[in-house]
Amino acid sequence: MEADPIFPILLSLRVALIALAFVAPAGIALAFVQARRRYPLRGLVDALVLLPLVLPPSVVGFVLVLIFGRGGPLGALLEAALGVRIVFTPVAAVIASAVVALPILVKTAQPALEAVPPELEDVARTLGLSPRAVFFRVTLPVAWRGVLAATVLGFARALGEFGATLMFAGNIPGRTNTMPLEIFAASQAGDDRRAALYVAVLSALSIAVVLVAARLSPRPLAP
Amino acid sequence: MTAARPPALDARLEITVGAGDRAFHVEAELILTEGVLVLFGPSGVGKTLTLQALAGLLGGVRGHLRIAGETLLDSARGVLVPAHARRVGYVPQQHALFPFLDVAGNVAFGLPRPARRGGGVAALLDELGLAALASARPTSLSGGERQRVALARALAIEPRLLLLDEPFASIDQAGRGALRRVLREVIDRRGVPAVLVTHDADEAIALGDRLVRFARGKTHVAGEPRALLGRGDHVLVTGEAAGPADPLGEGRARVRLRDAVVEGPEEALRGDRIALELMASPPRGERGEG
Repeated sequence: MEADPIFPILLSLRVALIALAFVAPAGIALAFVQARRRYPLRGLVDALVLLPLVLPPSVVGFVLVLIFGRGGPLGALLEAALGVRIVFTPVAAVIASAVVALPILVKTAQPALEAVPPELEDVARTLGLSPRAVFFRVTLPVAWRGVLAATVLGFARALGEFGATLMFAGNIPGRTNTMPLEIFAASQAGDDRRAALYVAVLSALSIAVVLVAARLSPRPLAP
Repeated sequence: MTAARPPALDARLEITVGAGDRAFHVEAELILTEGVLVLFGPSGVGKTLTLQALAGLLGGVRGHLRIAGETLLDSARGVLVPAHARRVGYVPQQHALFPFLDVAGNVAFGLPRPARRGGGVAALLDELGLAALASARPTSLSGGERQRVALARALAIEPRLLLLDEPFASIDQAGRGALRRVLREVIDRRGVPAVLVTHDADEAIALGDRLVRFARGKTHVAGEPRALLGRGDHVLVTGEAAGPADPLGEGRARVRLRDAVVEGPEEALRGDRIALELMASPPRGERGEG
C-alpha cells in the first residue's frame, strides 16, 4: 500500500498544535502557581511535573495505556459514558504529546514568570486589578518572551514525541503515523528515502524552533 | 459616644511573615484624624510590611483597619476587603513602574478603559509636571520623575488613603525639596489622608502631621513629629547602621552609622568633629505640642 507522504507531516503538526492548545494554558497557569505561591505540596507537584521528562517514554506510554485502556479507570468511564475509545486513535497521540510537552513548558516558563518583580503585581492589585487581570495586564506583558519561548519548545517536544505515542496510539498508517513513527517504520523497512524525508522536515522544524527560542531568551528587565 | 467624624485611619494590625525561627512579627497601632501620618524608625523594623498590610497585600494579617469609618479588615468578624477593592493608593519604594508602558500609560493603568484617554490623566500629568514626559518610557526617567509618575498613578484612582514608602530614597538632595513641596500640595489639595514611611527626621518633620515611632516590629510612641524628633536640649541621631554593633562590655555597644543625621542644640553641633553624649530619656508622651 502506497501511503500519502504528506499525511504524516500534517498529522504531526495537527497533533502537536492540538496538544499545545491544551497543555500551554495549563502549563503556563501551573508555572505561575509554582512561581508565586508557597503551599504545602509544592515540592511534590514540582517533582510530578518533571516525571514525564525523566521517565523513559515507554513507561509514560505504558501508564497512559493503563489509565485510558479499556480496563483503566478513565478508559472504562469514557467508553461507558460516551462510547469513546482513546487507545490507538489520534486523540491518544495528542494526549501523549501533551504529557511529554508539559515538563519542558512548565520548567521554561517558570523562571520567566519568577523574574517578574512582585512589586509590579502588588501595585496593580492596589490599582484595582483582580488577580486574573494582574496576570494578563502585568505578568504576561513583562514575561511574554520567556512564556512564548516555553510554548515554542513545548511545541517542538510535542512534535518529536515517539515512544509514548508508539505504545499508546500505535502506528496505524493514515491514522496515527506521525513523522517520528514514520521514520522508525521506514527505517525498519529499509526505505531510507522515505525516512530521510521526515528526518529533513523534523530537523528543519526543530532548528527553526531553537532559533526562535534563542531569540526570545529573556533580556534583563529595566527597573 | 457621639464622635462627629470617624478618624481618617484607625488600624491595629498584627502581621506575621515567614515561619519558624525566621518568622517576623509586627504589631502596629495607627490612628490619624487627618493629614499625614509618618511611620518613623530604622530599616528592618516592619514599616514597609505595615504599609503592605494597609494596602491589603499581605495574607494572614490580624486586627482591624478602618478608613474614614469603613471597615476594610476586621479579623475577629471575618471581614477582609481584598487589595483590588480597597482603593488605597500605594507608592512603593522602588516605584515599580510598568516597563512596557509609557508615562501616560502608567498613570492611566488603574482607570477603566474609557477613562484612560480622558482629560483626567492629562490634568494629573500637568499637576505633577509630567506633561512633557507623557510618552516617555520609565527607563529614560530620573529618580524624581519616576517617583512623580508612581505618585500620579496612585492618585489617578482617587484613593481614600495614600501610602508612600520612602518617597525620597532614590532622589538627590536637590530634588528632595521640590518633591516634598509637590507631595504636600497634592495631598492638601485633595485632603486625602496619607501614611508615609521614612527613617529621615527632616522628612518626618517637614511632611508629617503625626508620627509613630517603630522599633523592632512594634509601634511605640505616637505624637507630633517635631515634639518627638528633637527640639530644645533633646538630641536626635538617625541613620542606617554601617555594620553590626561592637560590644564594649558592661551591656554597652558602639555602632557606626552611614548617612547619619544629627539634630540637637546648636552649640553642640559646631565644628568639624561632633561627639555627643546622649542621655537615655524616657519616650515623650502624647502630643508634646507647644
